[in-house]
Amino acid sequence: MSLRLGRVAAIVAGGMVLGLAWNAFGGRGIALSGNAYIKPGEDVVEIDAAEAKKRLDKGALFLDARPVAFYDMSHIPGALPLPEDDFDRAFAGLEPRLRNTLDIVVYCSGYGCEASHIVARKLREKGIHAAILHEGWPAWTDAGYPTKEGKEP
Amino acid sequence: MKALRHPALHWLLGIGLGAVFIYASIDKIEQPREFARIVYHYRLIGPSAALGFVPANALAVILPWIEALTGLLLVVGLWRREAALTSALLLMMFLVAVGWALAHGIDVENCGCFSVGGEGRAAGLKLILQDVGLLAVALVLALVPPRAQLQMPGGVPVPRLSNQ
Repeated sequence: MSLRLGRVAAIVAGGMVLGLAWNAFGGRGIALSGNAYIKPGEDVVEIDAAEAKKRLDKGALFLDARPVAFYDMSHIPGALPLPEDDFDRAFAGLEPRLRNTLDIVVYCSGYGCEASHIVARKLREKGIHAAILHEGWPAWTDAGYPTKEGKEP
Repeated sequence: MKALRHPALHWLLGIGLGAVFIYASIDKIEQPREFARIVYHYRLIGPSAALGFVPANALAVILPWIEALTGLLLVVGLWRREAALTSALLLMMFLVAVGWALAHGIDVENCGCFSVGGEGRAAGLKLILQDVGLLAVALVLALVPPRAQLQMPGGVPVPRLSNQ
């Protein structure tokens, strides 16, 4: 009895078909084309690092959704801390300014980090729209854009 | 080496390995969104501007079902060698992913092996050793053919008379 590689391919293909079918009809499917952090039907704008840099140069307000300790270590110049884990307190201090700003960009640690999406969601519930920097902090630093250390924006 | 070819051993190993794969697939099938996020953590296939979201999301949707199907075949003993080879390929893929994460200093807090919710096991050395162990079982099942059992027309195995 020899090993039939065609069967291996059939198992993989069968799993693919089952997976895609379950995703389409199982009721808990996710969009194959979108970030899984974005809830279905959610109106979210994600921008890449180059677009974020352009907006920063035009005076957009950046919000750092990471814990404050990360902000203190290094952040995007001009960004204000609005940590997801301390949202209500930080928001109270920033609210007047946020309500008077049209162009807001939120970022966090990128990739597996959901904080920027949560902060953007909470802001939207309060009627403030913010774009999300796709891939967040690593995308910014990988592009070689400026950063700033310390508690000052 | 002779013991490795014993049909009963293959039967047992197949059920054990298959059960592990089925168990591993359940949580991921139930919570694809959470599993997709864990896939993101590895930063191996996106989401990224270059790759798009598609590979990470598609893998999160498909992988658990390949695991489930592989596990099922192993447990019932159908296409056992091919299912074992599939599981070996999956385990090698997991090893590459975990090795990649460790090599790049990526802190994967939940490896996404068995559970996708809140607390999971971290991707670390212990996980690599466990994957290597499972891989060894899978390779035995895939590459060492069990000793053929002669069948009577009624399906009852005939005891061997000699040790040939």
